[in-house]
Amino acid sequence: MERITKHPIIESFDKGRKVAFTFDGKTMEGFEGEPVAAALKANGVMIHRYTEKRHEPRGIFCAIGRCTDCVMVVDGVPNTRTCVTLLKEGMDVRTQYGKGGTEYEKI
Amino acid sequence: MRRYDVCIIGAGPAGLSAAIEAQKLGMKSAVFDENHRPGGQLFKQIHKFFGSKEHMAKIRGFEIGKELLEEAKNVGVDVHLDAVVMGIYEPHRITVREDDSITSYSADSIIVSTGASEKTIPFEGWTLPGVIGAGAAQTMMNLYGVRPGKKILMMGSGNVGLVVGFQLLQAGCEVAALIDAAPRIGGYGVHAAKLARCGIPFYLSHTVVKAEGNGKVEKVTIAEIDKNWEFIPGTEKTFDVDTVCLAVGLTPMSQLLRMAGCKTKYAGGTVPVCDKFGETSIKGLFASGDVSGIEEASSAMIGGKISAVGAAFRCGFINEKEREQKYDEYSLSLFKLRKGLFSKENKGRTDITKTDEGIDLSMTLFKKGYMTEEELKKFVRNSEIKGPHPVIECTQNIPCNPCEDSCSFGCIHVGNEISAVPKFDENKKCRNCKMCVASCPGQAIFIVDNDIGDGYASVSFPYEFCPLPEIGEKGFALGRDGKDLCVAEIIDVTTNKAFDSTAVVTMKVPKEMSMTARFYRKEVPVNE
Ligand SMILES: Cc1cc2nc3c(=O)[nH]c(=O)nc-3n(C[C@H](O)[C@H](O)[C@H](O)COP(=O)(O)OP(=O)(O)OC[C@H]3O[C@@H](n4cnc5c(N)ncnc54)[C@H](O)[C@@H]3O)c2cc1C
Ligand code: FES
Repeated sequence: MERITKHPIIESFDKGRKVAFTFDGKTMEGFEGEPVAAALKANGVMIHRYTEKRHEPRGIFCAIGRCTDCVMVVDGVPNTRTCVTLLKEGMDVRTQYGKGGTEYEKI
Repeated sequence: MRRYDVCIIGAGPAGLSAAIEAQKLGMKSAVFDENHRPGGQLFKQIHKFFGSKEHMAKIRGFEIGKELLEEAKNVGVDVHLDAVVMGIYEPHRITVREDDSITSYSADSIIVSTGASEKTIPFEGWTLPGVIGAGAAQTMMNLYGVRPGKKILMMGSGNVGLVVGFQLLQAGCEVAALIDAAPRIGGYGVHAAKLARCGIPFYLSHTVVKAEGNGKVEKVTIAEIDKNWEFIPGTEKTFDVDTVCLAVGLTPMSQLLRMAGCKTKYAGGTVPVCDKFGETSIKGLFASGDVSGIEEASSAMIGGKISAVGAAFRCGFINEKEREQKYDEYSLSLFKLRKGLFSKENKGRTDITKTDEGIDLSMTLFKKGYMTEEELKKFVRNSEIKGPHPVIECTQNIPCNPCEDSCSFGCIHVGNEISAVPKFDENKKCRNCKMCVASCPGQAIFIVDNDIGDGYASVSFPYEFCPLPEIGEKGFALGRDGKDLCVAEIIDVTTNKAFDSTAVVTMKVPKEMSMTARFYRKEVPVNE
C-alpha cells in the first residue's frame, strides 16, 4: 500500500506538506489536503468502521464520496466520509462503531 | 438569490464543455461541482484518448481536463467548487450547499451533467475492505499517488476494466488476472492486448465465488459459469490477492432530474427522455454527458456543447438557424465517434465475425486478449517488406485515427471513416521516426525491421513503465501472450516531447522472432 514514488506518466502528485494525525490514538503521517482515506491507505489501514448489527468491517469502496462505506469519527464528528474529507494537521481520526460511536457500548 | 443565464451542474468533461460553449455564445454561465477539484473523471484518466484530432485524440485525459479548465477560466465561466447541488426547483432554480450554507441560484436554463456512478455486484465477501470500485482505484493511484493494493484481481473486461488494469500495472501494482462473466472481452482489443503482453491472464465466462480474509481481502476464488450463470464445479481457482477491483459498469446519476420531474426511461439505468439538444421534458432543463446515457469522455464533451447550443436558443442568445448550424457541426463529430464494432447498436452482439472491410476478426483477441500470428496475417503483410516499417496490430473497427495524422510521410491510411482499420501503404517509405508507435492510443503499432544483419531483426514497441530499459541491457522478448520467447537486447530507447511520456524501445531479436516478439522484460538475476 505504499505511495507511488515514480510513475511513467504522472510527473508528480501535487501534495501539501507532511503533517501528523492520529488514527485511534496512534500517530501517523500524511500530506495536508489529501483525503483522510488516502493517508490511511498509505499507512496500511484497511478497516474504517464496523457495522451496527453484524459488526462487520468496512473500508474504502468508491473513493468519491458516494457509498459511505468509509465513514469514521473525525475530530469527534461521526459519519464523516473520509474519502472526501481533506487531511489537516493534528486530525483525530477514529474507527467508527455502528452508527456513530467509537465503541459499541457508547451507542 | 443569485442569477446566471445558465447554471450547469457537474464540472466533468460534459459540464465544462457546456459552460465554455454557453459563455462563448454570450450567456453568463456558472458550473457547480461538489468536488474540490473540477474535471470530473478526466483527471484520473492518464491514457491517450481515442478519436480524431477534433475529438482531442492522442491527448491524455488529464491534459484535456487542464485545457478545458484553462479555457473555462479564459472565457469567464464561474466555477463553483465544493458546491453540492441539492435540488432543482421549477422553473429554473437550484439550491447549492457551499461551505455549510445553502444558496439559491436562478437561471433561464439549467444543464445537468452529473455523470455516472459505478455499479457493483454482490458475491460472498463483497463487503470486505479490499473490494473496491475501479474508479476508486483510479482515484487513489492517479490523483493521490497511493496504490490501492499490492496484488489485484480485476473484475470486468470493458474499457474501464482494461484501462484501469493497465494503469494499476503502471502504478506498480501486480494484477493477478482479469475476469469477466461474459464470454467475450467487452472492451477494445488493443486495450486487452496491452495487458496480455504483460502476461496478465484473462478468464472469460468466470465470476467470483467468494472473497475471504480476516478483516480484509486475503484470498479470492473464481469459477467458470455455464450458460445459465451457474458455477461449473471443479473449475474453481484461488488467488492470493489483497484487492478486488470491480469494473462492472456505470449507471447514470439522474436523481436530480428525477426530482425535478423529468420524464425518464430505462437504458442501462434511469435516463431522462431528451430531444436532440439534450432538452428534457421540462423546457429549459437539459442533460448531457453520462447522465443522459453512458458513453465516454469524448462524446460527453460534444454532448455538453450541444446542450449549451440548445440552452442558448431557449434563452434567446442565438436564433434557430444558428442553432441548427452548430448542431450539424457537433453532431457530425459525434456521429464519427459513435461508429464501429463497439458502437451502441453493436453492444452485446457476439455474432459479428468480420471487420467492415470484410476481414475475419480475431476470435482469440476476444477470449485471451491477444491475436495469434495466423489471425494477424489477414491484416498485415510483413515478410517481404525490406527495412523498418510499421506493423499495425489494430484489427477492430474503432473510431480512432491519430496514427494517420502522426505520419508525416503518409505511410498510414485510415481515411474519412475514422473507424476503418488502419493500413500501411507499402508504396510509401517509412523513415523510422516512430511517431506512429508513440501516437497510437491503443499502443498497437510496432516498427519491425526483418533483417538488421547477423541473423537479427529489430522490433520497436511503445513502453509506459518505470524504469525504462537501458541501451545494451539484455532480457526476455515476450510474445503477444506475455510469455518468454527468447533473449533480446535493447538497442534503442527514444523519448521526446512529441511522444508525450510514451517511450519507444527497440530490441534486437533473432530474425524468426520479428513477427512474434512484442514486449520485453528485464531479466531478473536468479539470486535477487
Ligand atoms: C470510474 C470511471 C472510469 C472511467 N474511465 C474512463 C476512461 O478511462 N476513458 C473514457 O473515455 N471514459 C471513462 N469513463 C467514462 C467517462 O469518464 C465519462 O463518460 C465522462 O467522464 C463523462 O463525463 P461527464 O461530464 O458526463 O461526467 P463526470 O466526468 O462524471 O462529471 C460529473 C461531475 O458532476 C459532479 N456532480 C454530480 N452530482 C453533483 C451534484 N449534485 N452537485 C454538484 N456536482 C455534482 C461530479 O462530482 C462530477 O465531478 C469512466 C467513468 C468512470 C465513472
Ligand atoms: S469510499 Fe465511498 S463514500 Fe468514501
